[in-house]
Amino acid sequence: MDPTLCVGCSLCVLACSVYQRGVFGLAGGHVSVERDDSAGLFTIAFRSTCRRCHQCAQACPSGALRSLNLEGVRENDG
Amino acid sequence: MTGDVFRGRILVVDLSSGRSTGLSLSDRERRLYPGGLSLAAFWLGRQPAGVDPLGPDNTLVFAAGGLTGTNLLTASRTEVSAKSPATGLYGTANSGYYWGLELKAAGWDALVIHGRAERPVYLWLTDQGLEIKDAGHLWGMDTWRSLACLRAEVGDGQTQAAIIGPAGENMVRFAGIQNGPYDAWARTGLGAVMGSKRLKAVAVRGHRALQPADVKRFVTLARQAYERVKASPFYVPFARYGTMLAAGPYGEFGALPGKNFQTGHLPGWEDNCTRKMVPKLSSRGIACSACPIACAHWTNAGEGLSLKDLEVTPVFCLGAGLAITDLRAVARLTAFCQQNGLDIVSAASTVAFATELFERGILTVRDLGFEPGWGSEEKAMALLHLIVHRRGIGDVLAEGTRLAARQIPGARGYAMEVKGLELPIADPRGRWSTWTFGYLTNTRGGDHLRTRNPVENLRYNENPVPYRTERYGFDPAMAAGLEMSEQDRAAAFDPLTGDVNIPRMAKWSEDLIAVYNSLGLCIRPPLLHTLGPALLAGLWFAASGITLSADEMLACGERAWNLQKLFNLREGETAGESVFPERFYREPLPPGGRVLDRQAVESCLAEYYRARGWDPATGVPTPAKLDQLGLGRQAHTT
Repeated sequence: MDPTLCVGCSLCVLACSVYQRGVFGLAGGHVSVERDDSAGLFTIAFRSTCRRCHQCAQACPSGALRSLNLEGVRENDG
Repeated sequence: MTGDVFRGRILVVDLSSGRSTGLSLSDRERRLYPGGLSLAAFWLGRQPAGVDPLGPDNTLVFAAGGLTGTNLLTASRTEVSAKSPATGLYGTANSGYYWGLELKAAGWDALVIHGRAERPVYLWLTDQGLEIKDAGHLWGMDTWRSLACLRAEVGDGQTQAAIIGPAGENMVRFAGIQNGPYDAWARTGLGAVMGSKRLKAVAVRGHRALQPADVKRFVTLARQAYERVKASPFYVPFARYGTMLAAGPYGEFGALPGKNFQTGHLPGWEDNCTRKMVPKLSSRGIACSACPIACAHWTNAGEGLSLKDLEVTPVFCLGAGLAITDLRAVARLTAFCQQNGLDIVSAASTVAFATELFERGILTVRDLGFEPGWGSEEKAMALLHLIVHRRGIGDVLAEGTRLAARQIPGARGYAMEVKGLELPIADPRGRWSTWTFGYLTNTRGGDHLRTRNPVENLRYNENPVPYRTERYGFDPAMAAGLEMSEQDRAAAFDPLTGDVNIPRMAKWSEDLIAVYNSLGLCIRPPLLHTLGPALLAGLWFAASGITLSADEMLACGERAWNLQKLFNLREGETAGESVFPERFYREPLPPGGRVLDRQAVESCLAEYYRARGWDPATGVPTPAKLDQLGLGRQAHTT
């Protein structure tokens, strides 16, 4: 995860909500993006409930989230 | 199953009484008006003619796109409409970011505002309900500070707000509504409508999730849409440079709106004002919700200021229009417009108008209080200050160029507007295309965002101008990929040369863009030529459960277009208003030296009217066309 690359589109959050819950919403997902839009900064956070389906990383267009499948590396450290 | 991505739920608020009511569209209305522009045009179609645009009877409609809030790429947008104080016609503007998503998450598809509050107020809308709150402490404050105060007050930094600055409060006729800090419903003076209602802001925050009617189908089609857009040859350049891609070609064409459309070329443009500057001034893209392109850029404007910017519209209008070729200065002027809530296009055009009037001795230092001049950030800023606060000559200029020109003897020939709306971007003498022809056909007046050839080719700029056609020049597969009916395709592309028929493509693209503005999509080129009415109808069915064919989906756009035209006709628009400023027909544009051929332009308009099923002489929709669109009862009678 590299929040400095985040463009603030929330496609990760929307992917999480639709793949995990079958709905679209920014609230209540396993990943969230908080926007400090006046400063152009974004904070990405994962909840402990994350199921590591990697849909968020697949949806990310900027490279802020990427899937790493290296053995011995915990996925959320990526 | 219908799901709840689009339920047709409308919250109606009367600021005079403080009462609000929730309404639902009928099943028929949900079929005909899939959100956004279509829904707003439907609602305003019922407003009586002759209402004072700055009076309490003017209705202000915020309508989120039908698919806004989903993960379909760019489905973020919201249309805002009212009778325009700038033009007296259908006023409307479209903006993305997160406001529409929050409105949907609060449980509503549209918000309709009537009346006028006794004192300044703001609306605070959540899924728990609506509160009308005092805004006395925010009145007079700029949009950036107001937004920060408002967020602190409601205790939620993710709250979105449609908010006006001092320009809207002072009813500058080209005041826009800011959408968060850096986006805006800019055009046609809707900020002045909010100001006239003493409505400082509409703050929204919702937590409801949207359930598509068929989630699997929706996700599959949304992915298909993404793959198509990513395969567009425009995708990677757009993701890298955004709209700044257009800055270079228009400079090369000699089609810049330089010094109030007095010159199409500016020295230093190529080196200082084109996409080359993007990596020098910005570090990364900034996106609206659900947009992978992120066409805007986080930009260093110097003097300690950074903002989301580097878009071609301010660069053309504040840059070329005022002969300012320092993009940091353009960014600072952009920030001023955002903070004060001004439409950048009309603000820049009005400053250019005043500067040319001074140059020609029509306005003097005595009128202005100082000497304006081209290429000066400081002098442009000084004029903008006067306009925002309606001080001195600023009070006249705040009326917009058309009305100001009526008050200043000798000024009429220098107002660069169509139907009262100041012209943007490119000079049609330097670049004749579907895009620039659209300045005449656009229902909101001189504007570039509702008519465009989805396969416009910026490698070519023909001379002499053929008028009816523009060169295609791409791989035939790109044109074949447009989801057009055979009939539309045969009309829009010459079967022998493949050239684009400008009047016919104008009609088709306006209908498609009206669909985009209804569903909540962005009209950037990578989308416009890849996502057609068939795919959108499929997505609409998956989201809402409403079955529409591709033709019926396109007809939703055509219906919205006709509703706006009918509104304009009721308000007194005549065919004679669809003309460019006289300068374009009489004064050769340096450096190319071209003027427009009036007869050729009028011939294009007549063909456009025929393509629309409108009377070719008057531009009035025929009863047969209105019947076909289910609008028979709204036929225009004179």
